[in-house]
Amino acid sequence: MGTPPRPGARRPVRQGHGELRGHPPFERWDSWTEYDPRAWPRKVEREYMLVPTVCFNCEAACGLVAYVDKETLEIRKLEGHPGHPGSRGRNCAKGPATINQLTDPERILYPMRRKGARGSGDWERVSWDHVLDVFAERMHEAFAAQRPNDVCYFVGRPGEDGFADRFLETWGADGHNSHTNVCSSGGRTGYGVWMGTDRPSPDYANARFILLCSAHLESGHYFNPHAQRITEARQHGGTVAVMDPRLSNTASMADWWLPTWPGTEGAVLLAIARVILTEGLHDRAFVRRWVNWRTYLRLRAPGTEPTFANFERELAREWERYTPEFAERESGVPAGTVVAVAREIATAAPAFSSHIWRAAAAGNLHGWQITRAMWLLNVLTGSVGTKGGVSPNAWNKFIPAPWRKPGPHAEWNELSWPREYPLAHNEMSFLFPHFLHDGRGTQPVLFTRVLNPIWTFPDGYSWLRALRDEHRVGLHAALTPTWSETAWWADYVLPMGHGPERHDTHSYETHAGRWLGFRQPVRRVAMERLGRPVRFTHEANPGEVWEEGEFWIELSWRADPDGSLGIRHHYESPYRPGEKITLEEYYRWMFEHSVPGLPEKAAAEGLTPLEYMRRHGCVEIAREEYVQHEAEVADLAGTEVRGDEDTVTAVAFPEDAHLPLTGRPDRVAAMIDGVARKGFNTPSRKLELYSEDVAAFGWPELATPSYARSHVHHSLIDHERGEYVLLPTYRLPTLIHSRSGNAKYLNELSHTHPLLVCPEDAERIGVVTNELVRVETEIGYFVIKALVTDGIRPGVVAASHHMGRWRLKEDRGMERWSSALVDMTEDAGIVRFRQIHGVEPWESADPSSRRVWWNDAGVHQNITFPVHPDPVSGMHCWHQKVRVRPAAPGDRYADILVDFRRAREVYEKWLGLTRPASGEWRRPIWMFRPVKPLLKAYRLPEDERTAAFREQQQAAAPVPVDELAARVDWSPEAVWGPATARQRAL
Amino acid sequence: MGWELEIVERQASAGGRESARPSQMAFVLDQRACIGCHACTVACKTENDVELGVFRTWVKHIEQGTWPDVRRYFSVLRCNHCTDAPCVEICPVTALYKREDGIVDFDPERCIGCKACLNGCPYDALYIDPNSDTAGKCNFCAHRVDAGLKPACEIVCPTNAIISGDIGDPDSEVSRLVDTYPAQVRAPEQSTGPNVFYLGAQEAALDPLLVGGGDAYLYNEVPETQRAKLEPLDADARARAMHDIAHPPPWGWKVSSYFLSKGVAAGAMMLAGLADDLLIGLIALVGIAVTGAFLVWDLKRPERFHYLFFKPQWRSWLARGAQVINVAALVALLWTVAAVLGWDGARDVLRWAMIPAGAALAGYTALLFNQCEGRDLWQSPLLLPQTLVNALAAGAAALAIAALVSDADTAVLRWVLLGAVVSGAAIWLLDLFARHPTAQAKRAAHNLRADRRFWLGAALGLGVAAALAAVYVATGALVLLALAGALVLAGQWLVEDAWVRAGQSVPLS
Repeated sequence: MGTPPRPGARRPVRQGHGELRGHPPFERWDSWTEYDPRAWPRKVEREYMLVPTVCFNCEAACGLVAYVDKETLEIRKLEGHPGHPGSRGRNCAKGPATINQLTDPERILYPMRRKGARGSGDWERVSWDHVLDVFAERMHEAFAAQRPNDVCYFVGRPGEDGFADRFLETWGADGHNSHTNVCSSGGRTGYGVWMGTDRPSPDYANARFILLCSAHLESGHYFNPHAQRITEARQHGGTVAVMDPRLSNTASMADWWLPTWPGTEGAVLLAIARVILTEGLHDRAFVRRWVNWRTYLRLRAPGTEPTFANFERELAREWERYTPEFAERESGVPAGTVVAVAREIATAAPAFSSHIWRAAAAGNLHGWQITRAMWLLNVLTGSVGTKGGVSPNAWNKFIPAPWRKPGPHAEWNELSWPREYPLAHNEMSFLFPHFLHDGRGTQPVLFTRVLNPIWTFPDGYSWLRALRDEHRVGLHAALTPTWSETAWWADYVLPMGHGPERHDTHSYETHAGRWLGFRQPVRRVAMERLGRPVRFTHEANPGEVWEEGEFWIELSWRADPDGSLGIRHHYESPYRPGEKITLEEYYRWMFEHSVPGLPEKAAAEGLTPLEYMRRHGCVEIAREEYVQHEAEVADLAGTEVRGDEDTVTAVAFPEDAHLPLTGRPDRVAAMIDGVARKGFNTPSRKLELYSEDVAAFGWPELATPSYARSHVHHSLIDHERGEYVLLPTYRLPTLIHSRSGNAKYLNELSHTHPLLVCPEDAERIGVVTNELVRVETEIGYFVIKALVTDGIRPGVVAASHHMGRWRLKEDRGMERWSSALVDMTEDAGIVRFRQIHGVEPWESADPSSRRVWWNDAGVHQNITFPVHPDPVSGMHCWHQKVRVRPAAPGDRYADILVDFRRAREVYEKWLGLTRPASGEWRRPIWMFRPVKPLLKAYRLPEDERTAAFREQQQAAAPVPVDELAARVDWSPEAVWGPATARQRAL
Repeated sequence: MGWELEIVERQASAGGRESARPSQMAFVLDQRACIGCHACTVACKTENDVELGVFRTWVKHIEQGTWPDVRRYFSVLRCNHCTDAPCVEICPVTALYKREDGIVDFDPERCIGCKACLNGCPYDALYIDPNSDTAGKCNFCAHRVDAGLKPACEIVCPTNAIISGDIGDPDSEVSRLVDTYPAQVRAPEQSTGPNVFYLGAQEAALDPLLVGGGDAYLYNEVPETQRAKLEPLDADARARAMHDIAHPPPWGWKVSSYFLSKGVAAGAMMLAGLADDLLIGLIALVGIAVTGAFLVWDLKRPERFHYLFFKPQWRSWLARGAQVINVAALVALLWTVAAVLGWDGARDVLRWAMIPAGAALAGYTALLFNQCEGRDLWQSPLLLPQTLVNALAAGAAALAIAALVSDADTAVLRWVLLGAVVSGAAIWLLDLFARHPTAQAKRAAHNLRADRRFWLGAALGLGVAAALAAVYVATGALVLLALAGALVLAGQWLVEDAWVRAGQSVPLS
């Protein structure tokens, strides 16, 4: 028994003490005795039950083990879970800090209903029964009236796979909205267009060269598991190159730091590709077999004989402009470096890993094309699906099917999936308030979950105005473990459990392997193991903290009281017919039926599958499954070979079935040298260098990976006028968006985010470290302290997106470890924030609250950012031109001003870049989309709007792609008037 | 280049350090792998319930170079579990102790909060826990080790940058790492035998004297005490601090005041016979009482002051000093009783006790400060003569003031005062401008020289007082001598205070 050691796990080492172990032996997890460090050196023994669970701070879902005191049932601490295949017993700072979140004296323990107007800040405690009835009634009304989209589930960090999809499908609603377009759509679109699958799974541990456009040694998807494996590669002699205008910890550790001008990464990547191609370093066999070059040749050079050599020639012609010197001119990276890196990549291939997820892809207009240019390098060098290369994430991820999986819904929610963005990877979530202000619709019932758009999203004031308006948002419940700037404006605040207080399953592509993690409420599990039955998790949680799974079951059950809506049926127990399913039964059924190998592993230990998962908290499903695209497809019944790329295609399209998450259900295989092989989830089942759908949905100029100016291109930035690029997105290893404000140890380490300015820019602006500067955006400004440092590229200023949390009342609304008390005033569409005081010590049940020694809470930047939707990927382009000037007289630290009218104008300007769907379909059906509807819902309605779009497109020639940036450019001088640098006496 | 250590099982007899050495737990901190993520910091805090503001382990960030040839370097800093641990030696009550396995552990139940260990440690490793008001530090998670587990910081580390083990065992992973790669330790010149070994650390990451800054950090506020330490280093710095924690100076004005009151008492005792006996006795007794009061007041756990007498650790000059104070108090008391009762015979005998007791009372402090291995400025061999001379000056000054109301041999006194002040000044000058054995001492002396209070004290105590004394010699106006005495005392306090601060003004981490 026990958990076998995993590759990369720590070895026990012999010592004078015998063998010291990292973790208590698995066999003794039911009863583990440790000395109490608080009584030390007195040897006071404490007996713990060790219960595995999963961290809920970032998205990596690392394993944790909770030490539950068997006497008091108190959770003493959380450590790494040595048996977890992704995290292998190790964590970042946020894992152990979970205990702070559980014991935060300010946490919300009871459901609250607002008293008075929204945002007035008076709350009263209500019962869960009341909450469930109020929402169930509204939902019943909407569902019965065939208006399922009246109900929206708007999620920040999902932290689970599949549960939400299922309940939305049971409601028949296209009601999923998410944070993805402020996060990773620029990454996803680029990967998705290439391979169907929207995420990469780099096999870092085995890579010989790692190219990162990210800071994966300190943040990002999936920081801790990836940092472990990148370090392993370095330890084995692998080389790391990092593209980042900012000196991140990762860039600091790299062998090559390429501090590109923001948005020019594509020029560097394409120049690397060109070197590889022109020097003949590419993997010809791989490219010939797996790239849709015939399509490319047919559409790029019609009439050319379809030979591979012709393709190579044509490609070299297309890339003529991407010389290393061109890359140098665009990015600042020396041409020699570009050539050297290209050769190193080619030498390392196929053990070449690369990764971009947010960073440049999330910062720039055309950012998704940067992703595409990066993946191009893997394709060219044949480093796809190889050991040390990058696989599609689907190979390293597993989502088990739930009990009684509902059929697909038939709805299309245009508040989430507007026609202007047919290629948007995810919901146009950050335009939601603008759509409401446009009058495109209303949201009668809104659930926000772990979502704080007023603070996290750009243009938070538009959110604030929409969420406050009862005509636009009907009934709003914030499901959240913590207070947030957004929860403040809700009608109900419903406390949900932290990581160790809830159930979820999830699986992420942390490495070349597949695993399923099981988050569990650890006190509940401990109580049950001690013979104290628990029916609902909230019985074991503090106060009346629920977990979402039980909430959705209960709510759905009540929303269909007599079963007439066909919802209740899905919530019946598989084990007790006709009765309501319990959450435990939901997972029990899943583990018994949907997880390959789990029943056998459980049986080998004499356990049921559920018992196994309760004990282990995770199960490994597979390891090192490489080159799966080469798998032969045997069953070719009912198919024929079609198209340029010999795609094995089903003759009949299964119209009434679920569409697959990515890919088309009718595209079965690619015929490669006469053998049908599984290939990739693209329409052709090959890697699509030329995307016919990108062309078909309005963007023929972008059918292949290419480079165009970003909206922050240096040609648009005039330093002499005080203009710089603001890079506001970077994360710290110690914080996680708006979810870590309640962890005292994390906030002690990180609580300020000075504006990084390089020395020459600082001199030009006329500012020194610690002086205040005003950063003017297109819709407002914020006042922040400068830090003059060589760790930032000249021309670029940066401030971490963490920090700047605020509250409007002294004693409620936000954790006091991390927030400032502010005064918010509004006047004719202009909102101003002024800090009353920063973080201060206060009295609470935790003595630490008296010992808060820091005062800085940072500055809320994002609210001063207008929306910048990329017209293709739908990604919010976070970087922006700003003017940086010395603070004006009367400016104070953390002052903020935002003009709602201008926010609307900028929204309309960027909306003007779009090329709305005007063909047969709303969007390509193979593309990823959460909770996909039936095929018929994908059909674009033949209505007035469609006709208008078609007419529009006939009337005017599209703006050239390279000119889009200039179209959305703005002049600080025109908006804010002239500003001069501070004159400094020498 | 990679750095994977080839794991070869070594033959116990095949050369190398196979001979059995005492068990000594040690850490290897692999800065080639450390990513500066603070997981160790937080895991330590949650494991050991460490309060805000203090740390058992922390990760300092520095930046070095100019764009684009600039890099950030990390260093994981903590107790070195020294083979010859100065904190253990200086602890007066065995609250700190070295275990058989080499771990330097501590017992908060015994600690009196004297903070001597904070100054004894050359690595900034100790702190005062704000909840218990007792000293704390990394204890290698001894409670885990005794349960067969590795320390919390090690098991959490995402990149295996922290490796623990027994450096006494030649086959342990830590021994093999240290044998294979060039390993570094912090402040080797302190000869404490540190048992935390660094691999691939940037020089400036381990040597705080090469690091300046102090104006702002990347993502936390610069604690005021740290700003004060960093700013003087900025001009010559090779790198800039970007993330660090606070290490406030443990000793302040109460210790400077203790210096003075003790000097007065000790000086008066050494000058027994030069003034009214009762007056001498009273000055000594009051001086000792005030000294005791300052000492106890400065303890973070003053109610435990009696541990000094009942749980002493005899290698500590704090414990020894407590006994010196006791003896001096006893002698002074007997002297006073003899003076009150007019027992001249006993008094004449006691005079021979008063002088050495006074000298001991003055001088042990030099040995205590010498024992503060973390403060190189205080390591000066001139410290002993200086405390003696300063005590004479203070005693003479006090008597000079007292001479206004009482009999005194002012003819001798004035020369003692002048002589002590002038020779004290000479020693100060030697101390300040002579070559300093370590960079830290040099930097501290520099900071002392830069302290205006020091020069104000010197000007008052030396210049003005000497001038007044000279005028007194010419005019014979006692009030001038008293005034000179008062100025000497004030000057001495200012100088001592500046010196106490300067000793603690240099960052050790």
